[in-house]
Amino acid sequence: MSMRKLALYGALLLLTVAAPFLFPAYQTQLATLWLMIIVALTWDMTGGQMGYNSLGNIFFYGTGMYVGAVITITLYFPLAEYTDASRSETFTFTPEMYFTGMVLGTLGAGLFCALSAYAIGPLFFGLRGPYFAIGTLGLAIAAGEIVSNIDILGGGQGISMPVYGGDFEVFKKIIYYVFAAMGVVLIVFLSWFYQTRFGKAINAIRDDEEKAEAMGIHTLRYKLVTWAISAFFVGMAGSISAFQLIHFEPLETAYQTINLGIFMVVCVLLGGKGTLWGPVIGAILFHVFKEVTWNYLLGWQWVALGALIVVIVVFFQDGLMGWLRHRKPEWFGIRVESREARASA
Amino acid sequence: MTLRIGLMSFTAAAALALAGAAAAEECGTITLGAAISLTGKYATNGYHTQNGYEFAIRKIAEAGGVKVGDKCYNFKVIYYDDESKGDRGATLAERLINQDGVQYMLGPYSSGLTAAIAPVTEKYKIPMVEAEGASRSLFNKGYRYLFAVLSTSEQYLASAVDLAALMAEKSGKSPSDVKVAVAVENDPFSLDVRAGVIEDAEGYGMQIVVDEKLPRDLSDMTAILTKVKLVRPDLLVVSGHSKGAATAVRQIAEQGVSVPMIAMTHCEAADIVGNFGEAAEGILCSTQWAETLKYEDPIFGSAANYNEEFKAAFPEYADRAVPYQAAQASAAVLVYKDAFERAGTVDDREAVRDAIAATDMMTFYGPIKFDETGKNIAKPMVLRQIQNGQYNVVAPPEFASHELIWPRP
Repeated sequence: MSMRKLALYGALLLLTVAAPFLFPAYQTQLATLWLMIIVALTWDMTGGQMGYNSLGNIFFYGTGMYVGAVITITLYFPLAEYTDASRSETFTFTPEMYFTGMVLGTLGAGLFCALSAYAIGPLFFGLRGPYFAIGTLGLAIAAGEIVSNIDILGGGQGISMPVYGGDFEVFKKIIYYVFAAMGVVLIVFLSWFYQTRFGKAINAIRDDEEKAEAMGIHTLRYKLVTWAISAFFVGMAGSISAFQLIHFEPLETAYQTINLGIFMVVCVLLGGKGTLWGPVIGAILFHVFKEVTWNYLLGWQWVALGALIVVIVVFFQDGLMGWLRHRKPEWFGIRVESREARASA
Repeated sequence: MTLRIGLMSFTAAAALALAGAAAAEECGTITLGAAISLTGKYATNGYHTQNGYEFAIRKIAEAGGVKVGDKCYNFKVIYYDDESKGDRGATLAERLINQDGVQYMLGPYSSGLTAAIAPVTEKYKIPMVEAEGASRSLFNKGYRYLFAVLSTSEQYLASAVDLAALMAEKSGKSPSDVKVAVAVENDPFSLDVRAGVIEDAEGYGMQIVVDEKLPRDLSDMTAILTKVKLVRPDLLVVSGHSKGAATAVRQIAEQGVSVPMIAMTHCEAADIVGNFGEAAEGILCSTQWAETLKYEDPIFGSAANYNEEFKAAFPEYADRAVPYQAAQASAAVLVYKDAFERAGTVDDREAVRDAIAATDMMTFYGPIKFDETGKNIAKPMVLRQIQNGQYNVVAPPEFASHELIWPRP
């Protein structure tokens, strides 16, 4: 790695660490930004790198929320009593109980989602193209409806997580740093992962699955493992979101197919599919765009978002990274001989 | 829709500014924050809520503002649209507190949104007086800064169950012969309404023959109604905010469902008389407030007076019942006025919180007194029946102005 690159990464990392102190009023938005980066990057693992456009990754987000909550609560209290809406008892968590729940709940959520991706994957990876997209979307919608009818999970009331007893400013920083750490780990992991043989294999699946199969790649296994890794991170992010939001319910918050479920795809399309930094840049731009329009174009925010999607799809089909790569190939280490050089040769 | 709401609130705000400018030149401003549903499935009620807040602010300004010590203040509200979504509501509450520096909050519309926002205000120790979150699940979390002026949701249709039992006895049957059908939205409010109904019905030994949830977008309940037609219950209970009420009335008429007693919530907010006319006849509607009740206070006068002036201020309500969602929103602002005046400060949030907690007042909306969990325990619910296009109070007996028409025509 060159010195310049190293300095750039160092500066980015420093900014990540310092951000909540630089913009104290925006800590929650910054935490949400990291959440967007995480879901965009994990979506791109299957969507961009492997060619399987899932519309149902929100399933892992919602499931992560519920698994995280259920583990946290059942560690200390009976779940049915906790989620009973008409209970008169108040359950209090000490900081120790709270953090134990957060760590175990979040890890449990990640593992549960990874396993469930591995388990249900064979059903879905038989589907290609739009069928895979709609199939996974159906999974997320069905999950929301089912969970909203399970009384022990709070049904349509949702679940109210315990409230952190200590200083609220500290709480916000904890949430931010957990999301940020998860995001940084994910970026480092993916930059390694895409360079490995495994990474090349999923690219081969994207480019031509039959050929990949013919070359001896056990495609289903590669697809399952990739989806499971992606689900692991989304599930953990979902669990942390549950702690951040405190109250969540199944249809609008946990399995929110039309919001976060679509936003993660838009982020990736905006930034550039199948690149490492595309989803990150896309998530940042999208998040800023969304916050600005939702504040200053109130009433027209969805129109603005629709217009943005149209502009991306029509003019930037490869996303910003794709557009940049086309304009400035040398930044990406691609050497293009100029016309003059060719003519003179 | 949004544009219309925007324009109207703009006109309302402009009128307020003009009215307030002359009288209140030397008054300070107390800024309140509110995330309410201006779009999404709760948009209708978000709009009623906003109008209720704005009307109260205007009336308080006309009466000389909030008097704290020898200074006077007027209220101003910063609104955001929560799109009827909980996570959005929570984010906006944070923005109001963090970025806009709001020290006191008014509630959003619906129990679900209140459940999402209350933890945020609680964490920041920001008092929130809310008028639209009725689910009991809000008041068992140990929140110190949440106060609700309305009655909790399990009480909404309790009177209807009592009436059904009474009618059974009158017609020579036993209350335990009564068959009850319940169809509710899958949200905190309606689930709590359902819990109250089922609890009471079981108390009488009634049979619950249908117990269904409305689909999430609340636009179709034909499947449930087909079932209702087959089992012929004596009482049908529907709860799904305004959209659920409108869908129910329309489809009950379309499918010719004939049940002797139908009880639902949000009739006035959905304006089922104006929208469906004849089809709404005989339906029982629970209400937090009725303009015929004998309550009054110095700012708004009597309940009837509130009704009249509110219609004058917002002409779009001229031909319909003023929804109680607007009245209770006004009452929430009134609670703040009273609390600031008793606390004698606008800066000491803890003192103001304690003053709110000690509230014990009579308003045009009814008596308001909070228990230690923050809910209003002083005000009863009433049940009205739509008779010849009018909402007439039929229960509980001490408030009833008309006889129940049974069975429903």
